[in-house]
Amino acid sequence: MPSRHTFRKIVAMFCEHNIRNYYLQAILATALAFVVKASASAQNPNNELDTIKQMHEVTVSVKLPTKTIATSQTLSGADLQALSTTSVADALKYFAGVQIKDYGGLGGLKTVNVRSLGAQHVGIYVDGIRITNAQNGTVDLGKFSLSCMESVALYNANKLDYCQSASEYASGATVYLQTRRPTHDSISVQLRNASFHTWMAKLNGQFNWRGWQGFIDGEYCSSRGDYPFRYHSEYEDTVGRRSNSDIRYGRIEGALFKGGFSSHVYYYDSERGCPGGIVRRLSDKYTNIGREWDRDFFVQASYQERFLKKLLFKANAKYTNESLRYCTNFPENQNTPRVDNHYWQQDVYSALCAAYMPWDWLSFSSSYDIRYSILEADLKRFDDVKRVDQKLVFAAQMNWKNIQAAVSALHQRYSDWTFAHVGAADPLDRWTPAVSLAYTFYGVTVRGWYKEIFRAPTLNDLYYTQVGNRNLKPEYTKQFNLGLEYHCQWPMFNGQCSMDVQADIYQNKIENRIVCLPLKGTYTWSMMNYGYTFCRGLNATLKGHYHTKTWNFSLLTSLTWQRDVDRTDPTDVDMYDKPICYSPAFSSGITGIVGWKTLQFTTSYLYVGERMWSKADPDDILAPYHNVDIKLSYTHNIKKVSLGLCLEVCDVLDIQYEHLPRYPMPGRNYKLTLSFGV
Amino acid sequence: MKRLLTFLNLALYIIGMYAQEKILLLNEGLWQADNGRLTYFEDGTIVSNQWFRDQNGYKLGDTPNDIIQVNENLIAIAINWSNIVQFITPEGKAVAATEDIPNNRKLCTDGRYVYVTSYGHECETVNGTQYFDKGFVAKIDISNFKVVATCEVGYEPEGIALYNGRLFVANTGGYAMQEDHDYETTVSIINASTMLVEKEIDTHVPNLYGKMSQSGQYLCINSPGDYYEMPASGLIFDCEKALNEEDCYITFNKPATYNCTTLDGNFLAIGSSFSYITGGYEFSYLTINPRLMIESQGELGLEEKLPGTLKEDFVNMDQPYGIYVNPYTGYIYGTDAGSFEGAGYLFQWSPDGQLLGKHKVYINPGHFLALSTNEYIDGIGSINVNENENWVDAMYDLCGRKVKSQQKKGFIYIKDGKKIIYNQ
Repeated sequence: MPSRHTFRKIVAMFCEHNIRNYYLQAILATALAFVVKASASAQNPNNELDTIKQMHEVTVSVKLPTKTIATSQTLSGADLQALSTTSVADALKYFAGVQIKDYGGLGGLKTVNVRSLGAQHVGIYVDGIRITNAQNGTVDLGKFSLSCMESVALYNANKLDYCQSASEYASGATVYLQTRRPTHDSISVQLRNASFHTWMAKLNGQFNWRGWQGFIDGEYCSSRGDYPFRYHSEYEDTVGRRSNSDIRYGRIEGALFKGGFSSHVYYYDSERGCPGGIVRRLSDKYTNIGREWDRDFFVQASYQERFLKKLLFKANAKYTNESLRYCTNFPENQNTPRVDNHYWQQDVYSALCAAYMPWDWLSFSSSYDIRYSILEADLKRFDDVKRVDQKLVFAAQMNWKNIQAAVSALHQRYSDWTFAHVGAADPLDRWTPAVSLAYTFYGVTVRGWYKEIFRAPTLNDLYYTQVGNRNLKPEYTKQFNLGLEYHCQWPMFNGQCSMDVQADIYQNKIENRIVCLPLKGTYTWSMMNYGYTFCRGLNATLKGHYHTKTWNFSLLTSLTWQRDVDRTDPTDVDMYDKPICYSPAFSSGITGIVGWKTLQFTTSYLYVGERMWSKADPDDILAPYHNVDIKLSYTHNIKKVSLGLCLEVCDVLDIQYEHLPRYPMPGRNYKLTLSFGV
Repeated sequence: MKRLLTFLNLALYIIGMYAQEKILLLNEGLWQADNGRLTYFEDGTIVSNQWFRDQNGYKLGDTPNDIIQVNENLIAIAINWSNIVQFITPEGKAVAATEDIPNNRKLCTDGRYVYVTSYGHECETVNGTQYFDKGFVAKIDISNFKVVATCEVGYEPEGIALYNGRLFVANTGGYAMQEDHDYETTVSIINASTMLVEKEIDTHVPNLYGKMSQSGQYLCINSPGDYYEMPASGLIFDCEKALNEEDCYITFNKPATYNCTTLDGNFLAIGSSFSYITGGYEFSYLTINPRLMIESQGELGLEEKLPGTLKEDFVNMDQPYGIYVNPYTGYIYGTDAGSFEGAGYLFQWSPDGQLLGKHKVYINPGHFLALSTNEYIDGIGSINVNENENWVDAMYDLCGRKVKSQQKKGFIYIKDGKKIIYNQ
């Protein structure tokens, strides 16, 4: 079993590796810019005050590229809290162009796929810093709570702020989780009882003191997850109860902010059962008994400051430590391999970004990011793998009269070191561009963008014992998008009405898909570059809000139509130009929220059309499903004390549906939450 | 042209002679997707790609791995991830199913008992639950479909064959990368009546995994190696010799990933070796004469060829997944698993290797069983039936079948309505 590396060792290793010269130059240039700025700002006696004001400017009223140039969808504040959601994945399913993969239950892995690019092309960012998983590249969204989030936003291609780290340019689609900055001091407690033996307790304390804001949020949850399911078709009528679907987790996180400084600490510890697919069995004698333990920790900080109104500087740093254990070596396991594997990964990340705005309509920015990751595992024929991932971006943005434009060029370099048997993969060294253009007239913005990006093979893809393939090429995506956006608001009766409309058509190409395939005739599986996917689609959203002093109405709708086809092998008549698996042609969501004072009622409706799960037989489809969730909440305020009661009913129609074949979803379930706050 | 006409003539003649080709083909489906399927192919057409469902109204199960004929009325299917051994009639009707043998792999039979290898560690028997540290072989009595005896062998036993009252079991140790043991290199020899290990032969090649074909006393065994330093290889194993001496096998440096027995007692093998170190494949296409190979100590008997256009057709496949010769007619079958997520294809060749057709089946088609078109079904898999031998008049075995092949000493038969112990 490999020994665990200390932080010191990582830093030492980090210094050992040669960093390419021009990267050093980039760091020096950025550092130099900082010195110049620092000396300039030293001349300003009111420097600190200015900074705080300017920070507000940065987020609120800057003239530079408005959000309409990027294709984005945001759920924030009241709308976000009004949805019946337990995790980030639940919120994202209401966005257009998003497909969720969910293995069912509270503990089932939840990943998000945007415009069929694949889960590993979706970057998840907490306050602008990416959550990474060097091992498999996917992030389980079930691990992140919405309770400390101000907003969840999805950006296709780039977010296009004008001082972004290079990592933010490096994924096909980006999901931003924005942590809430407290505005007052409070303590609140929440208790929840939900279906399938689920209990949850949550504690939140927050403060706002002399410009410092912060919170601590802790949660403990235990769920047996033994939900009933039924498969009813021409060839079966299977009724059962999910077993080994339990989860226990504790999560504690805290954040501290002051002006341009933000920081976040996160710790998550869980134990869960890993239920398998429901397959034909004669009795309940043999069920999956595999269990998984996760322990994730990260600490991150970001600082940004503006100098002389023309220079903006940002620095990010993060340390991540994750461990995972998967075990099937239990006495009751008499029929499957007896596995007990541990994986540890550590990740140190830092980024320096600088932006220069010669005029208020033009900005240039550059960022250099470096990430050092170590993966250790007690697998046979596996040795520690170290990866240095460097990114450099040059970007320019303008917002001149009604024309907005953004261009960026991103360079990524991945180098791995390992003593693993197969040896390290060759370094990966690529440039990728992105271009956006938008024109606004009469409040309507017309936009178009193109982005090319790849995902590097993950450490599992390359080195996992008997599966990894060190010769993998990166998986490329090329996205074209044309869209319209219109926003308006007007007073109506005694209130204010607003409307947002967005529609985008897009075309994606994905080349060299990294997939796990059985090897030709050797009975083992391996990672391979196989496949070329071509995808065309339409995403549209419509949002309407109306509010008066006491009433509040929201309507959120989204619609996705897309056609994903396999373009791998023109000679293969069965597969070529045929729809790819798990991709519905049509899906839509409607959410209505009605609020009266502190009483609120939400209904969400989601429709997902039929999708193939194998290409072998037209009968291999996952049935379309309708999902209706309702939520009713009421808060009673007595002086400074607030008491809340919330009832949620998910899947009201009790429709038995699946995201993956033979992994049933829970069906109708209830949640009752009591909250108390001071 | 002349050759073509001759061939067509011959083909017509053969088709006329043997009116029916009946092939059952197991499609493994995708793991944990519960979509194992049975294809029924008859006379050049696919009758159904979900034959088991059609006949029984329910699904077969997850990842079926092997199919054999037990007697003229019974077929056994090992459905690995469902932990089920399913028994059906040749008409496809389910007769019985047992989940007493979890993680079952391969099957063989003597017509009275079905022997099953298992990677699992427990087995429900008539004498209660038995536990094993390694893998085991279970003996199912087809009169009640219960396990009557078990025998522990090496880790993850795979191929199994019956010869002269002994079971020959190829051990793999296939979980070596996940569990705390190494690959196995042995063949266990078990007395089928006592279910006790008589002997273990060390072949010195690891991981004796995959399809194991039998031709009389010879076995064709595949070793994919360890996918790293130890290369893939193939073995010809002489069961007769193994009972007496240790030096009973020949190893050759080509794997026999997919193999089958021909009517004349040879083996056809398609080998594919892969190394994680080089990331490269190597394919081989072999015809093996086992007798010649054993007798010549490996000098002779191995030819890099396949009949007719077989080699060419296999080279053009995306992912070869199986090869089979109909023991009744000599027609040759092969499968292509394609991309593994789409439907695979069944190829049919004439006995001399001319491609007759290509038929779309289901995901990962890999295991064949030919049904007899005559009333009599041999089932035991003896290839060389000597019709000229001096037969004792009308003898039947305990299943009531007329005994055609060589009788075995000490076995019970029925003659003139009475049970006799064959003693000559």
